[in-house]
Amino acid sequence: MHEKKSFFQLLMRSRLTVVGLIGVLIIVLMGIFAPFIAEKPKGYGSEILLPPSTNHWFGTDNLGLDIFAEVVWGARTSLFVSLVAVLVAIVIGVPAGMISGYKKGVIGSIIDSLIDIFLTLPILPLMIVIAAVIGSSILNVAVIIGIFSWPSLARVTRNATLKISELQFIEAAKCLGIPTGNIIFKHILLNIMGPILVNITLIMATAVLSEAGLSFLGLGDPTTWSWGVILKKAWENGAVIDTPNPWWWWFWPSVFVTFYVISFNLLGTGINDILNPKPND
Amino acid sequence: MGRYLMYRILKGLLTLLVSVTITFFILRLMPADPVSILIDPKMGPEVQQAMMKRFGLDKPIWEQYIIFLKGLIKGDLGLSFKNQRPVMEVIMEKLPWTLLLLFIVNIMLLIIGVPIGVLAAIKRGQLIDKVINISVVIGISIFVPFLAFSFLYIFAYYLKLLPTGGAYTPPPGDGLAYYMDVAKHAILPSLTLLFANIASVVLYTRNSMIDILKEDYIRTAYAKGLKNNYIIQIHALKNAMIPTVTVIGLMIGSMVGGAVMTETIFSWPGIGRLIYDSVAAMDYPVLQGAFLILAISVILMNIITDLIIAWLDPRIKIGG
Repeated sequence: MHEKKSFFQLLMRSRLTVVGLIGVLIIVLMGIFAPFIAEKPKGYGSEILLPPSTNHWFGTDNLGLDIFAEVVWGARTSLFVSLVAVLVAIVIGVPAGMISGYKKGVIGSIIDSLIDIFLTLPILPLMIVIAAVIGSSILNVAVIIGIFSWPSLARVTRNATLKISELQFIEAAKCLGIPTGNIIFKHILLNIMGPILVNITLIMATAVLSEAGLSFLGLGDPTTWSWGVILKKAWENGAVIDTPNPWWWWFWPSVFVTFYVISFNLLGTGINDILNPKPND
Repeated sequence: MGRYLMYRILKGLLTLLVSVTITFFILRLMPADPVSILIDPKMGPEVQQAMMKRFGLDKPIWEQYIIFLKGLIKGDLGLSFKNQRPVMEVIMEKLPWTLLLLFIVNIMLLIIGVPIGVLAAIKRGQLIDKVINISVVIGISIFVPFLAFSFLYIFAYYLKLLPTGGAYTPPPGDGLAYYMDVAKHAILPSLTLLFANIASVVLYTRNSMIDILKEDYIRTAYAKGLKNNYIIQIHALKNAMIPTVTVIGLMIGSMVGGAVMTETIFSWPGIGRLIYDSVAAMDYPVLQGAFLILAISVILMNIITDLIIAWLDPRIKIGG
């Protein structure tokens, strides 16, 4: 208990990390309590393309729907997509990284080469092709993003595993005849949770960028509100360059995508700084 | 050098094979494979059989895979659903535009990103370094369409300084006027991609420069009484560039992803815009072809970056 508290205290020491943590909290609360904050936007209204006002904080779109409500419900979608993506990435990436780090040998180098290959490929076009072919329900999109998020997690897991498995207590465990499965899951996994956690926060961020990108390019789920879907509608309807210009239509969803990504990145960097303190920086 | 190059090319080929294999299996995932769309149900069974045979669909899957590979080597990517033209032809029309954009962006990344990184390293811990660091966090978090929309809104809509899209004003002119026109159209898309990617370049240059400035040979250079600028530019920068060039190489894949969104928003007639149009038209062969060609471009650019790194770092040449 004492250790957890001090970790939290360390986290609170950096102002930027606190900003990130608050940002993450705001988005999580928005996502969970979306139905209590704003009614789910559907159908159409009479107040078309109104600028932001006290009635409609973020203005309205071309169907007269409240953009604030769309953004709030978009937070829910973003959280769903990034959580599913992270889950998929963990299921593939952590075992792959641990096996390649612990076993070395042929299997290790095959997995390592695969990680390398997937890290160099242009992933967004690949996700576009797959989403276009198998159909872009929100779950499909989330799983596809997860499938292509595993390489960075596997790389981090592998490097951490390599470091740990050279330490003497692992050597000792091997000598004592402790089964390999036990060594991997009890002794190694518990010791590499830190770097994995950091990478997970970063995947939370990139997953939302991918989802927004895919939705923006027309591969989102049109029945679900997401920030990318709002942006696509705004852009297709000329909201960026039309006169008179409904700037609020593209501005607010973009701000929230960026806010989400910055918050998770700041939190990730903060955790990383605690785990790997740089003496001179 | 020879062995190093061989190793990199071999790895490139392996990456290519993985991309090709993925593309092949996506083809099989499709709800209806491309050939059965071509086959008319009104055709007699013999004609259908002949069609199946012609496209190799009567063979086991591994033989189909070989046929697919052989076609690829000849540059055969199938026919576009939309206009029945060879996919290769459609893509080759668009590829130069995407390469032009990526070329401009990479040059600007080096010319602008590296000096900022060096500045942050020299002024480490001072206000300017802190400002740069915070900008880097914002930079790596930015959503490409957000940047593109903001630039469009400010420079095309509000100030009316620059065109809203396309690569030239139709009909295309000749000579200098044409190049000037293209340059004007390229400003906003390149700025968008520059801002989307510059943060990593700054970060890596800064960090590697900080490490290198601690090295003994830098202290020796100072002890010899060499000028500060000379040390930074001649002794430190070349070595600090190695991680920077490496990271640019690694970024090319994601840069292409950003290019897809940028080209879409600015109607830049490259592969990214082609992908967007093909999604709307459900033109799967073009989508797959576009992915493959982008993958090949990324692999080639990676090999080029590796060559540059080998040139920057003599240890690689000797070590082989």
